[in-house]
Amino acid sequence: MLINFTLNHKPVSIDIPTDITLSVMLREHLKLTGTKEACEIGECGACSVLLDGELVNSCLVAAPSVMGREVITIEGIHAEDGGPNDLQRNFIEKGAVQCGFCIPGMVIAGEALLAIKSEPSRLEIREALAGNLCRCTGYMQIVDAIETTAKERAEKPNLSKRER
Amino acid sequence: MAKFEYVLAKTMDDAVRLLNEPDIRSIPLAGGTDVYVALRVNPVWFDRLVDIRRIPELNEISIEGDQFKLGAAVTFSHAIKNPILQRVAPFLVEACKTIGGPAVRNCGTFGGNVSNAAACADSLPSLVCLEAVAHLRSTKGERQLKVEDLVTGPHQTQIEPGELLTHFTFKVPPENARSCFIKIGRRKAQSISRLSIAVIGTVDAAGMVDYIRVCPGAAVATPVRFPKVEGVLLGKKPDKEAITAAADQLVADMIESTGRRWSTEYKEITLKAIAERSLTKIFLEDGYHVN
Amino acid sequence: MADLKYIGQPAQRVDALDKVMGKTKYVGDMSIPGMLYARTLRSELPHARIVRLDTSPALQVPGVVAVVTSADFVNHSNFGFPISDMYMLAHEKVRYVGEGIASVAAETPEAALEGVKAIICELEPLPAVFDMAHALDPDAPQIGPNRTDGKHPNYIGHYPVYKGNPKEKLLQCDMVIDQKYETVMQEHAYLETEGGLAIPTPEGGVVVYLSCQSPFIPRNDLCKVLGLPADRVRVIVPPVGGSFGGKDDLNYQTAGQVAALALKAKRPVRMTFSREESIIASYKRGSMRMNIKLGADKDGTLRACEFRSLYDSGAYSSQSPFTSWRASIHAMGAYRYDDCTVDIDTVYTNTGYAGAYRGFGNTEVCSGIEQAIDEMADALKMDPLEFRLKNCLKVGDVTPHGQLLSESVGLRDCLLAVRKMSDWDRKRKDFANQSPSAEKRRGIGVSALFHGTSLGAEGLDEATATIEIHADNQVTITSGLTDYGTGARTVYTLIAAEILGIQPERIKVHNPDTNTAKDSGPTVASRTTILAGNSVRVAAQNLLQNLDWAAADLLKCDVYQVHRVGEDYIGPSEELVSWDIVVKHAREMGLVLSAFGRWSAPQIHWDEEKGTGTPYFAYHFGAQVAEVEVDLKTGHTDVVNIWAVHDIGKVIFPQGAYGQLYGGISHGLGYGLYEDLDYQNGYAQSINFDTYLIPTSMDMPEIQGGFVEATFSAGPFGAKNIAEPAMVPTAPAILNAIANATGRRIRKLPANLERVMLGKELTKKGSPFSCKVALKIT
Repeated sequence: MLINFTLNHKPVSIDIPTDITLSVMLREHLKLTGTKEACEIGECGACSVLLDGELVNSCLVAAPSVMGREVITIEGIHAEDGGPNDLQRNFIEKGAVQCGFCIPGMVIAGEALLAIKSEPSRLEIREALAGNLCRCTGYMQIVDAIETTAKERAEKPNLSKRER
Repeated sequence: MAKFEYVLAKTMDDAVRLLNEPDIRSIPLAGGTDVYVALRVNPVWFDRLVDIRRIPELNEISIEGDQFKLGAAVTFSHAIKNPILQRVAPFLVEACKTIGGPAVRNCGTFGGNVSNAAACADSLPSLVCLEAVAHLRSTKGERQLKVEDLVTGPHQTQIEPGELLTHFTFKVPPENARSCFIKIGRRKAQSISRLSIAVIGTVDAAGMVDYIRVCPGAAVATPVRFPKVEGVLLGKKPDKEAITAAADQLVADMIESTGRRWSTEYKEITLKAIAERSLTKIFLEDGYHVN
Repeated sequence: MADLKYIGQPAQRVDALDKVMGKTKYVGDMSIPGMLYARTLRSELPHARIVRLDTSPALQVPGVVAVVTSADFVNHSNFGFPISDMYMLAHEKVRYVGEGIASVAAETPEAALEGVKAIICELEPLPAVFDMAHALDPDAPQIGPNRTDGKHPNYIGHYPVYKGNPKEKLLQCDMVIDQKYETVMQEHAYLETEGGLAIPTPEGGVVVYLSCQSPFIPRNDLCKVLGLPADRVRVIVPPVGGSFGGKDDLNYQTAGQVAALALKAKRPVRMTFSREESIIASYKRGSMRMNIKLGADKDGTLRACEFRSLYDSGAYSSQSPFTSWRASIHAMGAYRYDDCTVDIDTVYTNTGYAGAYRGFGNTEVCSGIEQAIDEMADALKMDPLEFRLKNCLKVGDVTPHGQLLSESVGLRDCLLAVRKMSDWDRKRKDFANQSPSAEKRRGIGVSALFHGTSLGAEGLDEATATIEIHADNQVTITSGLTDYGTGARTVYTLIAAEILGIQPERIKVHNPDTNTAKDSGPTVASRTTILAGNSVRVAAQNLLQNLDWAAADLLKCDVYQVHRVGEDYIGPSEELVSWDIVVKHAREMGLVLSAFGRWSAPQIHWDEEKGTGTPYFAYHFGAQVAEVEVDLKTGHTDVVNIWAVHDIGKVIFPQGAYGQLYGGISHGLGYGLYEDLDYQNGYAQSINFDTYLIPTSMDMPEIQGGFVEATFSAGPFGAKNIAEPAMVPTAPAILNAIANATGRRIRKLPANLERVMLGKELTKKGSPFSCKVALKIT
């Protein structure tokens, strides 16, 4: 089945089997392996992507159903120069990364939260990450990274996405 | 070769037609949060997914007169953010907040939760308390069933193959109604309901209960109201003793329905506790002052 | 060490950038042209004889290219250390549900699964034993290998510590505690499941990219079972998505399976596990049943400890002989006793199998002894933290093993720190005065721990690192030990930067690779900072010597006259010469710009019969306090605060140390409250994250951590370790807090809803269904 959609701000047209999930399409067919699979039943959040700006588990989304919609994966999150954006920099600076397997999903979940809430409390950040399991960090430094980014963005509200 | 096909339905008519095409077993796809999980441990039981998520009517939340309408493809996130629903049925909103994590709530739908009919489905107790009616459409026309009757057992409903669950309606509860939803899970987030309860009620000018609905979740095979429990409270002053009596009745009714099972020893204490807490909250804490 | 530039200073993880960008390639992200996908047929029975295994029908399945069984290996693929009781693929018998029987490589994962289903495998069920208490019954079915010493074949070993005669001493004590404690199996739940990619080489060898902990073990195993010399087998460890002790034996089997398939198919073969396959097939933290007797005087002086326990290793011995030994050494806790004996017996059953998991025996025994210590304090009407302060080990003490602690014992400071941070004294008082009718009650509990660093007296303990300056002046380090998320690469980088006096950005750490790194033993036992860190330190010092000579030559002075200003060198002439110029000069002088560094741990010994000796060359100490709110009507426990202070010696990479601390606590919180990989009749009852619950961001409290730096003179810059011990005291601290809140003690982990409310467990009848389905479908 041929489907068209927007992937990381660029139009994509791809012929896929109808029975695959979005995570399989991203990883196997588009070779975007930043999106991870770790449970494939929507419990761990490693496969998190943004679908029309909303956080979803790509392992539970029918690949053909993204026809005409916008998908953002971890490969689509970066600063203008292709390097890390402010959230990603804060993940590094706050020590939020250990094995790294959950991290693409955590960054995506963080962006999903910051898109709808400018200055979340630590509890609100924890609520926003509740579907993203991490076995390494105990979540503390991940919460730190998102909290710091929120504060920085609130201080510079006019910064465009590209300037972050 | 793909194990099943996919087709996007643009309208309700489209969906009903596609679901009823001969020689192809079609099932509706809304959020996918149950279908893809089930596919992991079951052989494929259909030939085609009919995607109903983008049918405008199925995504509506509206009030017409005293009837509240909730589209079957409305997601939990959508519902949580809806100011009308927050006002008329806050306990349904609270229930939605306990489902999965944010990503699951962004995809999971009421229609899916009800038609999947898990014993622990978190939107069901509140919908049953609201006496929500499910609207089903097929080539034969439309029919309506109370949610309480629609669900016949764990993962069993009266929805026929080819029938599309389009929306739910319920009568807007009285202005002065107070409601509460409590869920016990093993974790503080993303946990399956070990036990839950939804209650809604009002008291009259004399301080007597004149409207009460009680529905526990994950307690008996299907989410149902407990008329005997409601009877204990109706027409009475909802004081501590009445609430305790109602909670005791609920536990007795649960055991009568399920018999004593491996978990009864736990559930009989906890169900009583959350029944007391929820009833205390609506009658003694949230604005009613019964002396 | 006054003016350290990098050690202990703020630093960032060297491998974080690729991870936050989603660019890091784990095994499952690797894909190369012509690659086949592998899948393994796994046992659906807990104990059975393989009466027929015909793989030929699999080869008829379209897309299937190769199939292997134990017959395709040397000596039926037998391997395992210290007991060689495992096979790359089952030989003659299967001993647990999920054991690999045959592996298939095919053009697609779907075809590989069809191939697996086509294999004719007839299993004749054998009687099985699931209860460790019956493993040694005379009529128990044989699981372990034949023995020549007359002992039961299901017996793995006895692990004692003997000091004096606690039986007699207990009779003289004013107060005696005699209790039973029990722990259950815990799943590592690393987010990245198991995986391996094998690529055949033109010379008839094989290169395996393997998600594992210790690359030299599978390299050596593969040489044996494939019959290949060392130069034909190369194992490279790519980034690993978490391990926690969990990527040993099963991953070595995976390596054997993909390597054999790749050699047979003459094509690259990758195998990655689904979560269900991972949980069903992989080893766990083993379960333990303990009986602890403690004796103390009225004044609160601990006198005697008699500890007996049974440890269930499941179907294979794996690391259990070592786990059991470490458990025995730590069983009595970090306290002084006049008399103390420990006896641990370890047995085989058909309940999955147990191997290494963070804490490695200490996590299990600590949950018992630290509760017993609390029960003793309660019985003596003493504050449990005060009781620990009175009895805890300090410098100059001799441990029950007979070891004099001559330095680096920071336990008292850890206890004092958590007492202050948690406002312990006030809270203990306040919580004692809660209304008896309150449905939600607060409680606060403490746990201490000690944890021997590195392998201990049962293993050869040394590591070798290499360091090299390349033509572009980049500095690279190799180590045979793996950073599976721990931050070890960053530790190596900071140590080398400190010694060489150069910016950490100049340094890169290679992936562990058996062709370039030196075998440094296993990446286990929280030994990497001390062992590999020291070897990097020595290597860097050796390299530095050559650079110093070059600088002296360039600056026309003696070596001792050369000093550093930032990266630059300076001599008596006050002229600054850059590091790059010095390196260039060294190259022109013909000096070797690479070095290796080897570090051997201090000599220690253990007498296995007498149960005495010097089990470890140094110990980590720590204390944690947990505050809980328990709902008495639902059994729900909310951990509202955790304070954790650990003596890890000199902190090298602070952000990483805190990360280990927080992460360890999350494993401990899960172990204390939720995690129970329940097996019923040999079948795992939780096989994915919907039913096997690990803590979410909502379950973890805000943690306040801190470090006591009781430096260890032989550690790199005085460092000890952190990884494992961070989790060890968490569960008992929570259990002690629950007891403080409710007045009821839960002596079997985890403290789930039912146990907290009813004080006992409710057991649901198990089912083999989900395991059987998952092995066929997902």
